[in-house]
Amino acid sequence: MTKSSKTLFVDTATKSVFLALVVDGVLSDQVCREGVNNHSVTILPLLDDLLKRQNLTLKDLTDIVVGIGPGSYTGVRIGVSIAKMIGYLNGIPIRTVSSLALLASSALSGTVVPFIDARRENAFMACFEIQDGVMVRKFDDVLANVEAFKARLSQPYRIVAAGTPDVLKILRSDLLTPVPDIHALVPNYLQVTEAEHNKQAAA
Amino acid sequence: MYVLGVESSCDETSVAVVKDGREVLSNVVLSQIDIHQAYGGVVPEIASREHVKGVSMVFDQAIRQAGLRYEDIGLVAVTNGPGLIGSLLIGVNAAKVVAMNYGIPLLGVHHIAGHIYANNLERPIEFPCLALVVSGGHTELDLMNGHFDFVKLGETQDDAVGEAYDKVGRVLELPYPGGPVVDKLSALGKDVYHFPRPMVDSPDYNFSFSGLKSHVINLHHNMTQRNETIVKEDFCRSFQDAVTDVLCQKTKRAAKEYGVKQVIVAGGVAANRGLRAKMAQTITDVPVYFPAMRYCTDNAAMIAAAGYFKYMKTGVADDLYLNGDSRLALN
Ligand SMILES: [Zn+2]
Repeated sequence: MTKSSKTLFVDTATKSVFLALVVDGVLSDQVCREGVNNHSVTILPLLDDLLKRQNLTLKDLTDIVVGIGPGSYTGVRIGVSIAKMIGYLNGIPIRTVSSLALLASSALSGTVVPFIDARRENAFMACFEIQDGVMVRKFDDVLANVEAFKARLSQPYRIVAAGTPDVLKILRSDLLTPVPDIHALVPNYLQVTEAEHNKQAAA
Repeated sequence: MYVLGVESSCDETSVAVVKDGREVLSNVVLSQIDIHQAYGGVVPEIASREHVKGVSMVFDQAIRQAGLRYEDIGLVAVTNGPGLIGSLLIGVNAAKVVAMNYGIPLLGVHHIAGHIYANNLERPIEFPCLALVVSGGHTELDLMNGHFDFVKLGETQDDAVGEAYDKVGRVLELPYPGGPVVDKLSALGKDVYHFPRPMVDSPDYNFSFSGLKSHVINLHHNMTQRNETIVKEDFCRSFQDAVTDVLCQKTKRAAKEYGVKQVIVAGGVAANRGLRAKMAQTITDVPVYFPAMRYCTDNAAMIAAAGYFKYMKTGVADDLYLNGDSRLALN
């Protein structure tokens, strides 16, 4: 009997904690729970519940897909830290996916602009085309002024600011990137820290 | 029992394995000090980013150096506060994953309790015991009548000792962190300025260092304005003598009032040689102990040691809802 694949999805870069389990290409369980600055508290209890519902433990997982941002700095760090630890402890591979791609995947079809608010009229955004369940990237992930970004879009689009990711759509896409060294994995913040920025500006 | 300690409350990512609260099998510390040096202090967002970068590697080194497998660990003890919240959350969540992955009990440990129990790595703490905790974030006197029984006698009303040291270091244009450099230069200077000893005669066990710090800064400013030569060594010595006088006098008085068997000094400033020498001179009727230099600054061995005694005392573990708390209270 060949070992079946059990892929864990983790994303914490948005207002919601997202977890999903795909067993041999079938979505067997998922949870997408909105929370206010408490991903750190809820994510592992939610994961524990999810695995227990499936009669599984962390040791049964065969690989992980983690949303590496961009999005909330504190939020994305929680998901990435957890993915790194699970991957390292169990010696299983990790693939990364843009948290914006995960958000966009919740839409059924059309031109989709995933949107994570970054204050001061800025947002983390990108653009994807979804057609017959196939998702293709149109614009890179950016942190940009919302109006300036919209001006770049020539065709009708839909903004998606919340939704449960469609992980099967993600698995079918070419939006996943294998992680060669789990210990070296870091979130994609899309921006240096303010302190680094000020220092570079002064230099 | 082997305890896996995890510490990430500020700018050090650390994981350790300690046997029975005493024997350190490994204590890996990934320090970010070189990175924050360029900014003259810890930048919280950079600290958080560095913790994520290093976290799994530090766990791996700690378990390997201990020569154990995770299955051998009986308790995962993690600093859950106080500290920088973004930093705390990385250690807390990583610790939770280990606990969940191997079905090991998980326990949140107060950072200051960790500093205090760094002393237990040298020799068992005897009770009643008076602990002076001095670091960049804390200055307090705690009475302990037994393991994990802390009664706060007093604390700083404003700046922590280490904070005042770093600010004085900055004014004197010494490299960051200023504390160790001020200590070093002090040894070469004289107390020529006789700065005030704030609250030395107050009947309580509270402290205050912001007035003293301002005093030092103002004098430095005025002398610079008048083009007077500034002897950094004398500035450092005058400041350090004022600080250590207050710390030693208050600790001595508390030790006498509560009839303690020993005095222990904990926290980053416990590495200060001027403080070590003066404390030994001031308190002669009961032993005064300091942690080994390597256990004065933030490390996970002290968290593992504290976690062991907390667990032995209460027998109660935390669940996966454990969170970081930047303002966690000791008792
Ligand atoms: Zn500390």
